[in-house]
Amino acid sequence: MAMNVVVCVKQIPDPAAPSSLDPGTKTLNRSGKLILDDSDSYGVEMALQLAGNVEGSEVTLVSMAPGGEVSGLRTALAMGAARAILVSDDSLAGSDALSTAKVLAAAIRRAEPDLVIAATESTDGYTGTLPVQVAELLGLPSVTFAKSVATDGRNLKVERQTEAGYDEVECPLPAVVTVTAGVVEPRYPSFKGIMAAKSKPVETLTVSDLGLDASQVGWAGARQEITDVSEAEARSAGEVVVDEGDGAERIVAFLEQVKVV
Amino acid sequence: MDFAESEEHELLRSATGEIARRFGHDYFVQQARSSGSSGELWQAIADQGFLGAHLPEAYGGGGGGISELTIVCEETATQGCPLLLILVSAAICAELIARFGTDGQKAAWLPGLVAGEKMAFAITEPDAGSNSHRLGTTARRDGDLYVLKGTKTFISGVDEASRLLVVTRTGTDEESGRGRLSLFVVDADAPGLTRQRIPVEMTIPEKQFTLFFDDVEVPADRLLGQEHEGLRVVFHGLNPERITGAAIGNGIGRYALAKAAAYANDRSVWGVPIATHQGIAHPLATAKVELELARLMTAKAAWLHDHDPGSAAAGEAANMAKYAAAEAALHCLDVAIQTHGGNGMTTEFGLADLWGLARLLRIAPVSREMILNFVAGHSLGLAKSY
Ligand SMILES: Cc1cc2nc3c(=O)[nH]c(=O)nc-3n(C[C@H](O)[C@H](O)[C@H](O)COP(=O)(O)OP(=O)(O)OC[C@H]3O[C@@H](n4cnc5c(N)ncnc54)[C@H](O)[C@@H]3O)c2cc1C
Ligand SMILES: Cc1cc2nc3c(=O)[nH]c(=O)nc-3n(C[C@H](O)[C@H](O)[C@H](O)COP(=O)(O)OP(=O)(O)OC[C@H]3O[C@@H](n4cnc5c(N)ncnc54)[C@H](O)[C@@H]3O)c2cc1C
Repeated sequence: MAMNVVVCVKQIPDPAAPSSLDPGTKTLNRSGKLILDDSDSYGVEMALQLAGNVEGSEVTLVSMAPGGEVSGLRTALAMGAARAILVSDDSLAGSDALSTAKVLAAAIRRAEPDLVIAATESTDGYTGTLPVQVAELLGLPSVTFAKSVATDGRNLKVERQTEAGYDEVECPLPAVVTVTAGVVEPRYPSFKGIMAAKSKPVETLTVSDLGLDASQVGWAGARQEITDVSEAEARSAGEVVVDEGDGAERIVAFLEQVKVV
Repeated sequence: MDFAESEEHELLRSATGEIARRFGHDYFVQQARSSGSSGELWQAIADQGFLGAHLPEAYGGGGGGISELTIVCEETATQGCPLLLILVSAAICAELIARFGTDGQKAAWLPGLVAGEKMAFAITEPDAGSNSHRLGTTARRDGDLYVLKGTKTFISGVDEASRLLVVTRTGTDEESGRGRLSLFVVDADAPGLTRQRIPVEMTIPEKQFTLFFDDVEVPADRLLGQEHEGLRVVFHGLNPERITGAAIGNGIGRYALAKAAAYANDRSVWGVPIATHQGIAHPLATAKVELELARLMTAKAAWLHDHDPGSAAAGEAANMAKYAAAEAALHCLDVAIQTHGGNGMTTEFGLADLWGLARLLRIAPVSREMILNFVAGHSLGLAKSY
């Protein structure tokens, strides 16, 4: 059965570039170019594989980002997604995770998904709360920490990573599933994919397009406030062990001491 | 005028860079030192369709131009993995087949080249280096065959290539005494073709060979372009070769400066990072300026070639880009090595091993002197000595 797979993709400041906090709002500076969060490249790959298995299936990207940013979306479109929905609106500045979830849920609803895929947590915010909030708002089952996902278009079969191993979980579609990094090997965009990306449709929506009220989102709607930020404590230098033929034993001894083995 | 890089080009840059980064300079050096090849990286790039970016879609190519191939060339080099064979296989051979080949020839060879097959290019001869009018390798027509006889030298990658494009003499112009040239696609394992490796002091995986053509029989349908019109054909391939050659230099320059900047900010011998000493900072800044100028001319040359191939403007820009990029590459590498002090000469820091390749760019694919001859004659209208 042909499926409409939606992937949430967050566009974030390049983690390799120096980052800064806005001293006034104490939030991350997002004024520069944003790129596809690496965590989401696994979701995109998983979606492309699932859609690729069934003729007529398509992958739609959904993102909320400031400044009409599409760079990260283009990367995922070049990988093979068919279209994207971007929510960008000045009134979204200051949105907390719940407001973000409301916005994304409203955008995702428009795409009429059979399956929604997100990463377990983003690289820059990493609250790891957004996907389950989206599922709740959409009234959909949510399965987290998927290390493999299979579907026949009606039901979802997930191997869910646990500390001991994995659980096998089944649920009906539509559903929201979060995938962990490394579960699939994200493809590089092909030359043809790159050339095609520009002409793929990106629908840009505002808060009011989604039928939401500006007072529900942004600084106005935030139910959480960052009251203070402080420097992370500098880590003390580790112990250097010079291998004098007993390196392996000393490592084992150290691991025993910290009760890892 | 618009100097903003397009989204496509940005994506192509980042995708190529990510693939090459996965291999990295250590891989490159290891392959070079172990007499290996950079075949895995080559294949990874080919798998994305990047080596056929400039070739027609009808034959599996990407439908782009030399501008795109230039990006692929620059970004692999920027990760410390300069791929010399892009110049010969993709920029000359594939480009010439796409432009001058018959439908049958295109169908026979282009899809393979897009998929990662390699083709070597043989023009240089022991007695006719920079002067291609003097080529001595002959092709004699014999019924349905041509018979090739002569010697080529410094031919890169013959051991990795399935075929090679050979420039031969099929006659002599009565008036000028110059050779009438013709190009042939010859199987690398053709009977009568033998090769001898030329040891070079360069840390690159590609090997160079002297080739001996001893009555090598080539079917007449291997003739590329019109018989005797080879010089015109060759000239179409030389600009892409110069432009991609420039791209390799630009990539080496970026690789070197990135390492130098990181090191200069990190290393401190008088209580402050050495980057704060102007004796370190200004040479790096000067090299950066030269590098960006070379990149600008390279992009312009590629654009001109894609919009008006064979035009005088494209030829002039390609030559200037090649000149500037070779000089910038050497300068960047030199100041990067200086910035690293003793570490600049170590294997670990991966700079000094690139010297041979950067130095080559001043000699090949066309020497600095021949470029200056061209600029003097064509751009300035100065009288010629030859
Ligand atoms: C006080 C505060 C102020 C903020 N101010 C701003 C601001 O000014 N501008 C701004 O843009 N954001 C702002 N944010 C929002 C924040 O950066 C995140 O978008 C949001 O909180 C989700 O949190 P997370 O990244 O921890 O998500 P997680 O729950 O860790 O994310 C899990 C997955 O959900 C998906 N996802 C998460 N966010 C998005 C998204 N935006 N689009 C698509 N998919 C997504 C991804 O697949 C992601 O991997 C603010 C947040 C807070 C708490
Ligand atoms: C590593 C390597 C790989 C190569 N790969 C290939 C390949 O794949 N295929 C191929 O066909 N060739 C290849 N070459 C050959 C290369 O293109 C030539 O070496 C180059 O074009 C110079 O020719 P030459 O060596 O015969 O020098 P020469 O022509 O003998 O020149 C010697 C010197 O005299 C200068 N000179 C010559 N004529 C003039 C003039 N009129 N005015 C001023 N100065 C002049 C030159 O600039 C040079 O400095 C390769 C060379 C090397 C070293």
